[in-house]
Amino acid sequence: MLAYIIRRLGVALLVTAGVAAISYALLHAIAPDPGYVALGTRSSRVAVAAWDKAHGYDRPELVQILDYIWDIARLHFGYSYKLNQSVGALLQENAGRSAYLSLASLVLALVIAVPLGIAQAVKRNSPGDYAVTTLNFILYSMPSFFLGIILIQFFALDWHLLPPLVSDQITSTWAAIIHPKQLLLPVVTLSAIQVASFSRYMRSSALDTLAEDYIRLARAKGLSERAVLTRHLLRNACLPMITLIGLSIPSLLAGNLLIEYIFNYPGLGLMFYTALGNLDYNVMLAYVVLGGMLTVLGNLIADVALTVADPRVRLD
Amino acid sequence: MVGVPPTPYGGILPADHPMGEGRATPDGGEIHSVSSGWRLALREFTDNRLAVLGLAILVFFLLFSFAGPLVYHGNTTISNPLVSNLAPGGGHPLGTDENGFDELARMMQGGQSAFEVGAFAALIAIVIGTLYGAVSGLAGGFLDGLMMRFVDVLLSIPFLFIVLVLATKYNGTVVEISLVLGVFSWLIPARLVRGEVLTLRERDFVAAARVMGGSRTRIVMRHLIPNAMSVTIVNVTFLIADSMLALAYLGALGFGLSYPHTSWGDMLGGALTYVQNGYWWLVYPVGACLVLVVLACNLVGDALRDALDVRLRRR
Repeated sequence: MLAYIIRRLGVALLVTAGVAAISYALLHAIAPDPGYVALGTRSSRVAVAAWDKAHGYDRPELVQILDYIWDIARLHFGYSYKLNQSVGALLQENAGRSAYLSLASLVLALVIAVPLGIAQAVKRNSPGDYAVTTLNFILYSMPSFFLGIILIQFFALDWHLLPPLVSDQITSTWAAIIHPKQLLLPVVTLSAIQVASFSRYMRSSALDTLAEDYIRLARAKGLSERAVLTRHLLRNACLPMITLIGLSIPSLLAGNLLIEYIFNYPGLGLMFYTALGNLDYNVMLAYVVLGGMLTVLGNLIADVALTVADPRVRLD
Repeated sequence: MVGVPPTPYGGILPADHPMGEGRATPDGGEIHSVSSGWRLALREFTDNRLAVLGLAILVFFLLFSFAGPLVYHGNTTISNPLVSNLAPGGGHPLGTDENGFDELARMMQGGQSAFEVGAFAALIAIVIGTLYGAVSGLAGGFLDGLMMRFVDVLLSIPFLFIVLVLATKYNGTVVEISLVLGVFSWLIPARLVRGEVLTLRERDFVAAARVMGGSRTRIVMRHLIPNAMSVTIVNVTFLIADSMLALAYLGALGFGLSYPHTSWGDMLGGALTYVQNGYWWLVYPVGACLVLVVLACNLVGDALRDALDVRLRRR
């Protein structure tokens, strides 16, 4: 087990280095002169050349890439010349709020999707099952920002129940926690999209588990349906969800991007969006590399967690 | 089979599964007249009512987008503040936007770009993916390992992020956005095709063809490609749906097509302002088009997957 984890961590580090290299090379290819961005498009060629030289952008591309990988390895994400602070500080400032939004919506999505999927499997092919499946299919095809707009229309503008946008009060993660009303709409939007795919998998996993012999045995020995579902079905049917959660960690970050943009919630996604408009090099790079790191980490955690939860799974 | 949602195993329960629909058939199975694989797949597809619905939606929107402008003419090029943000009615069935453009005519334009970008991006992805996957699968050994590790690395970069970074420079035209989307969507097809090629290589019918003296070209053209094709065809529909969604995201964030072209995502870019001002006609019709077309692609894709998977097919 330990050897396996160490080997997987090694691969994960290599993949992360690859992600950093490819992202850097791509950004370099589309905008080869960071000096123009930092000093403004009307700055003189001499000033730009001097700036590039001072910040190491005149070196061969391969050297720059290797240097960037070495920086990432030490968790140095560089400096944002647009916002005049280090990208590390920016990440620290925003990561908490984004993580809170992701975590809250993930938990809400699971709390809804797991019982829903089991209920659908137990009452399969009933009108209720068809209704939920149809709704899931529609949500699955719906861009998250459009769902956000629909929810804003009803809950904020028509019924005046919730604020349409996240207000300026949310200056820290703690502020986000103590103002749940501000975050309700973003969290619900993000989790609705996740429920659509989670409950789909949960339904089919529960259907497979229902056909297992141990469920028949539990029923045959006279256990109440409730006990069969909560004690025997739930834990076995949830195993595929572990993998799914691990794989959905990066898409949570991507989902955040649109939701933070629509609801004006100050997190990593909004930071990335602003950086895109400003061509803020190091911030754009840091967000992409962070996404890559989370993808790799999510895969690793999912695999390890599955072996802990399910002894039948062997690592090698 | 109607109404059964897809499972992670790629479709409905196997026919011999205790819960599957095939449980009533006798041991030997029912014997129908023998017909070709493609015809069987077609019958399986048309038996699926959801698939036919999806196909109907797609045909409707194709006609709406490409034939619609021949019938319905609206101003989409000359900005006119005097008629901006008009509610539906009086010569503008779906009202006008902030530039005074006719919303219905713009929606037709948006539909054209959605289908164009979806088709181009999927085509680029499927061509790169099939070639890359086939080369990797046939080469085997070290080269195969190297090529697949490269795919792993690229797959670890979140699609939307890298596409957005590229879209800061390459946006505005259908071709540019299709290229950006296509160049980062070939990874899954490459993996699928490689997997197919790897298993097909070792199958008995390929060995039989080889033993019978079939040439390498014949084996590739007659056995490998047609059998790997079903995987790619299914994937194309999902690629189209994903590319359309990505185009919508790019547009909504302001990195979409530029005037005079537009996409449904571009039209929804100001959606928050529109709903706050009560301009519902600028939000919900466009949003409905987007959801319906993506939904239809997903429905058709699911049905194709069920129809082309021989193991799931009823005889």
